Amino acid sequence: MVNNKKPHIDLSPIMSPKSVAVVGASAKPGKVGNAIMQNYIDVGFQGKLYPINVNAADKIMGFKAYKSILDVKEPIDLAVISVPAEIVPKVLEECGKAKARGVVLVTSGFAEVGRIDLQDRIVAISKKYRMPLMGPNCLGVMDTRSRNDTLFLPTSKIDRPKIGGVSFVSQSGSVGSSLLDLISGEGFGLAKFISYGNAAVIDEVDLLDYLAHDKETKVIVYYIEGVKRGKEFVELAKTATKLKPVVILKGGMTPSGASAAHSHTASLAGSSQAYEAVFKQFGFVEAHTLEDLLYFAKIFDTQPLTPGNRVAILTNGGGHGVLATDALYNNGLVSPQLNKENQKALRKIMPSIVNIRLPLDIGGDAGSDRFSAALDALSRDENVDAIMAITLFQTPGADESVANAIVEHAAKKLKPLVAVSTGSTYTRSHVSLMEEGGVPVYDSPDAAAKALAALISYTRYKQGMP
Amino acid sequence: MLVDYYTARKTLQKYKIKSVESRYVSSADDAIEFWNQKGMIVMKALSDKALHKSKSGLVELYLARDKQIKEAYSRLTRKAKSLKIKGYKIIAQRMINNGKEIIIGGNIDQQFGKMILLGLGGVYVETFKDFALRVCPITRRDALSMLNQLKSRSVIAPDKKSESMIVDLLLKASKMFSSNNMSEMDLNPIILHDGTYDAVDLRMLR
Repeated sequence: MVNNKKPHIDLSPIMSPKSVAVVGASAKPGKVGNAIMQNYIDVGFQGKLYPINVNAADKIMGFKAYKSILDVKEPIDLAVISVPAEIVPKVLEECGKAKARGVVLVTSGFAEVGRIDLQDRIVAISKKYRMPLMGPNCLGVMDTRSRNDTLFLPTSKIDRPKIGGVSFVSQSGSVGSSLLDLISGEGFGLAKFISYGNAAVIDEVDLLDYLAHDKETKVIVYYIEGVKRGKEFVELAKTATKLKPVVILKGGMTPSGASAAHSHTASLAGSSQAYEAVFKQFGFVEAHTLEDLLYFAKIFDTQPLTPGNRVAILTNGGGHGVLATDALYNNGLVSPQLNKENQKALRKIMPSIVNIRLPLDIGGDAGSDRFSAALDALSRDENVDAIMAITLFQTPGADESVANAIVEHAAKKLKPLVAVSTGSTYTRSHVSLMEEGGVPVYDSPDAAAKALAALISYTRYKQGMP
Repeated sequence: MLVDYYTARKTLQKYKIKSVESRYVSSADDAIEFWNQKGMIVMKALSDKALHKSKSGLVELYLARDKQIKEAYSRLTRKAKSLKIKGYKIIAQRMINNGKEIIIGGNIDQQFGKMILLGLGGVYVETFKDFALRVCPITRRDALSMLNQLKSRSVIAPDKKSESMIVDLLLKASKMFSSNNMSEMDLNPIILHDGTYDAVDLRMLR
């Protein structure tokens, strides 16, 4: 049998290049090649920058400009190409001759509009020069550490997330950029962002391989609409998901079983069901909505793993305790009983209005001292695997000191801890405080329970439990 | 192309998967001889086309007398003719009463290759759509997690013994489907009864 397996692709020149040629760079605002240049300047890229344009004058935006990449005569790690589709093959040949070590091809107008011929040509050129290529029809990459940023979205329109451990891969540019904007408003930071478009050369398998072994990536978040090499994706997933959590959302999951099937099995087992099966079987954390992606990313980024599903609810609002109990049940989690020792200890500390049982409602007047004492007891209790701390800031007792108490406790990383805060302006400022301190905060008990369930089910897979 | 029932049964035997005692019959007398005055039998008209046999009236159940068998045989031939089913064969099988029905199936997915399915079986398979799917080959852990995924889990595997029986069966079926030239497979129903099981309908496609 012929071995069709693609060789391992080194993505480091694309992700963290020391020198970048912007092919199609332009001084004219409004041009893609202008936005790319402007971004490299705005984000403070530390490497060398070479603007390339056939009609180049001496300088473009203050950098010495070249008519062709072949004129640069210096080593080039990455070429970012945004010239019109028809002249891409010519430009790409030149990149190959200039020994560029990688390409991000931003330009659209290839297979996605039926120009498979044109796409085939660029794939051939990439192969000929062994030059890895991302795209076409993509936003490219962003690496928060090396400050490599090929996105042609102006920094005034889309915020850039802070440095962190989550890497986010999106086949779609629009899902990618909007979610990237949202991530920058979350407490967690980003390692890498990759929008890979048509996946003509570098595809989801190469990216999974790269990120699974990337030291800066703790959690991988994927938005895909399909994989091209299913069997290799599965093979790779067997290792990747054991190394780190891979949260995945697949677009286009509406059931589409084969209509004219000859067997019940074929009519039940459509393509969506197959994807779902693969996700379950090989340890992916499946997200069903864009919100899920964010909810799951932040719990995996900050919290320790646990295979146990006994979640202690701590709350300063009775109704939220009830809702949280329902949420646990709906997500396959259970509310445990405190051990005798902790019951006694808490009875001594808490005022008589507090019932010592789970969910533990410590009252609307609870301040940081009650929260801290309760969190200590729950962390000690062998009947408790994880904690959901509901901190409602509308209550008289809750203020900044409560948020700080949660952060301090979470820093010990004894057990997975999530917080729930529902509310508006005043609440949001405290949510930020907690999230900056590494606590994943959710606006409803259901979202928090879903995230905990995802964490537990991933841990069970990782530890080989049924 | 549909694999002949006898060939399918032989394949099952090779993997030590039990199936119910069956025989093709070419006359009512044949069927009566097969019945041999023991318990009850079932007769079905099998063909490439007919997937929903019960709905189409191509299954005759609870046959336990010469007269019943004769009438059922002629009803089946008439029905098959009226539905213009070409090249059908009539099969007689021992009837299993009071069992729980599951389906084990196989399919080839365009992206991921051979897949194995376990579900609540019988005539409600597409009504309740209670099934779990995995990529072949599967491990014991996968098989158990498939069973755990079913809503009907406690009905079809109420105890440890039935649980391990289904897991073993699923592993064998997955091995069989992976290592044979088959594009689709329906073992539906497999009837769980009296601490054991029997595959009843065997639909394999090449």
